[in-house]
Amino acid sequence: MKRLSVLFVFACLSTACLFAQELDPGKLLQLPTDTWPTYNGDYSGRRYSPLKQINRENVGSLTLAWAFQTHGRSLQSMPIEVNGIMYITAGNEIWAVDARNGHSIWHFARPGGPLGGGNKGVAMWRDRLYMTTPDAQLLCIDARTGKLIWQIQVDDPTLKAFGGVAPLAIRDHIILGTSGDTADLPGFLESVDPMSGHIQWRWDTMPKQGDPAWHTWPHDTDVSTRGGGMTWITGTYDPELNLLYWGTGNPHPVENGDARAGANLYTCAIVALDPNTGKLVWYFQSSPHDTHDWDMVMTPVLFDGTFHGKPRKMLAQAGKNGLFFVLDRTDGTALISEAFVPANWVEGYDQRGQPIPRQDKEPRPDGVLVTGGVGTNWQAPSYDPDTGLFYVNSRETTGVFYLTMPGKYAEGWAGRDFFLSSKSMLKAIDVETGKVRWTADTLGRGGQSGILSTAGHLVFTADMSGNLVALDASTGQVLWHMYPGGSFGTGPMTYELDGRQYVVFLADSVAYAFALPLH
Amino acid sequence: MFLLKAQEGGPPLPGPGARNPAEGAHAAAAERGHALFRENCAACHAEDATGGRGPDLIRSALVRRDKNGELIGPVVANGRVEKGMPAFPSLTSLQVADIVAFLQAQITLFDLHTRFGPYPNDIPAERLATGSVEAGKAYFNGPGACNKCHSPTGDLAGIAKKYNPPDLEVRFLYPSGVASTAVVTLPSGEKMEGTLVLNDGFYVAIQSKDGWYHSWPANSVNIEVHDPLAAHAALLEKYTDADMHNIFTYLETLK
Repeated sequence: MKRLSVLFVFACLSTACLFAQELDPGKLLQLPTDTWPTYNGDYSGRRYSPLKQINRENVGSLTLAWAFQTHGRSLQSMPIEVNGIMYITAGNEIWAVDARNGHSIWHFARPGGPLGGGNKGVAMWRDRLYMTTPDAQLLCIDARTGKLIWQIQVDDPTLKAFGGVAPLAIRDHIILGTSGDTADLPGFLESVDPMSGHIQWRWDTMPKQGDPAWHTWPHDTDVSTRGGGMTWITGTYDPELNLLYWGTGNPHPVENGDARAGANLYTCAIVALDPNTGKLVWYFQSSPHDTHDWDMVMTPVLFDGTFHGKPRKMLAQAGKNGLFFVLDRTDGTALISEAFVPANWVEGYDQRGQPIPRQDKEPRPDGVLVTGGVGTNWQAPSYDPDTGLFYVNSRETTGVFYLTMPGKYAEGWAGRDFFLSSKSMLKAIDVETGKVRWTADTLGRGGQSGILSTAGHLVFTADMSGNLVALDASTGQVLWHMYPGGSFGTGPMTYELDGRQYVVFLADSVAYAFALPLH
Repeated sequence: MFLLKAQEGGPPLPGPGARNPAEGAHAAAAERGHALFRENCAACHAEDATGGRGPDLIRSALVRRDKNGELIGPVVANGRVEKGMPAFPSLTSLQVADIVAFLQAQITLFDLHTRFGPYPNDIPAERLATGSVEAGKAYFNGPGACNKCHSPTGDLAGIAKKYNPPDLEVRFLYPSGVASTAVVTLPSGEKMEGTLVLNDGFYVAIQSKDGWYHSWPANSVNIEVHDPLAAHAALLEKYTDADMHNIFTYLETLK
């Protein structure tokens, strides 16, 4: 009897492999080839594909394979692609699209909408999709039909919390963060059961009494309960160490540091959590006591290699505060802390490699001039193991910051800042030295899009003038460009089907798939 | 924090043009609430409720969770003595409801702008003018070399009346919206001049003086770009905070 049931299960499994379109969990542990199953293509956040059919030699002949129209719905979505089906999102919508030809399969438009608005993409778990919405709900959708299975409220939209971040599926956990900085909101990460939607654990950015981080906030006001530290870019995961890595946003009140003397943990930090329990294993605060709205949520990118002769499991982040970090991801030890744009707000680095902010560059009633801010933003970076370079779309800026609400009872923004000048460029950073190896800054190249690198020795991104570009991964030389006539709210991705490699860019309301000519 | 376009589909502006009676009633309540707020609350919370001595109510969790005064009412009635807010026991619940209507209208208005809009552009000049007029003037005529292009009795005469204080400061630090010009030399040797429209490394385009648009593949022409803001960009890298305060304090005297 026992033997029979084992055989039966085996038969089901192999049938599933042959005919089902659901996501094989094993695909999440591989480099992305025929599948791009997560926001970043795989758990590492490298946005590196081993595909090389399109490469440095032939990319100049890249041509349009197909385009998919949402008929005017603006897209900030990172598409995923599983078993030949692509899933593209907007605020309360998902389109399932044939990844071979761009034909529509189904369209989910949430009843009661509203339609429109940004969304960064879905997570997939077996035959289900998960997305967060503008009104801070988590939706579970049947990937076959586009039908809603359940929805749960994950944060408070009356306080202008909103969804949009692509959740991350790790085994039987759907892990998500939330966004919003209009009111003073406390940030968190939450893990939800993929079947039932029940909450499995919640990790709060704001420390509780008893946590050593409690002492990094004053407690003669309620400032530490009110918040900051939102979690609005999808994190990464190391299956071997079983650690989840996520970046956290800035503390509130945003531009008044007097109201919250101290480092303000766990805001503006990289946190490593056990995905089974949500327990903090280590943290590295990449912008202690931020007073400039520099969320440090940018992707913690994971890669292995030799660092100064020693094999290391590393994590790199290029942050909104203009600093680049390489850490040992087993315990958060800093290997590199280095500015990748001019940053006049840094006094130096502490023993852990965390920056020490200059007090005289905190916002003041009569204004201070600050460089380094918004060194990069939501644009996903990429790490190419072949070149050892970390690519980031960056900005060199000068801004003026005013404190408009002094005092320890300040709330909300409490200040005002203006960008004065901003120069956009793509930078390629050597991960062993932290130095910028080359910069593609010709006339504003680099800037607004996320980045993809491939084994074809190519870096795909978009420039400030609206051109899609492919660059030589070693030199930054432009090898291909195309003007799709729209703005970019996301980054490129790639996959191979039937022996043909596609590179997909979303511009405004259209998805463009490029490939080499068939003949 | 970041621009997710979810924010763009926000609610409509309150005020005139309300189409249904409920909206009209709400606008009337907000108007009454505004008068009450100005009288009782604005001294600490500012007339637009963005805070001053007292907290910013636009970004207050308590205010946002309130529907009809059930949360704000007790605070108004009892005060928050420990934080320096007095009690206002004489305000009736109907008056509190009007104040709530005003705050909700303000929240709607501010949420449309978040931090990228005009809020709060009313920073008073005396708060920014912490420098020295003499030092500002010396910088203007000395290391800044501002006097090479500008004159306090010419183009800058009355400049402090023309712009509100933060706008004036931001404009002298780095004026925006001034286009570069370009001279394009065609393969024939002919030169064309105009406002630079596009220069992305792939194409060059200008609008010539007669108003017509012209474009060329970038590799087929020679281009010389003139950025009238180059001097401002160079200065911006050199300014200290003290320079900024001194120059502003000086410019603020040009009324």
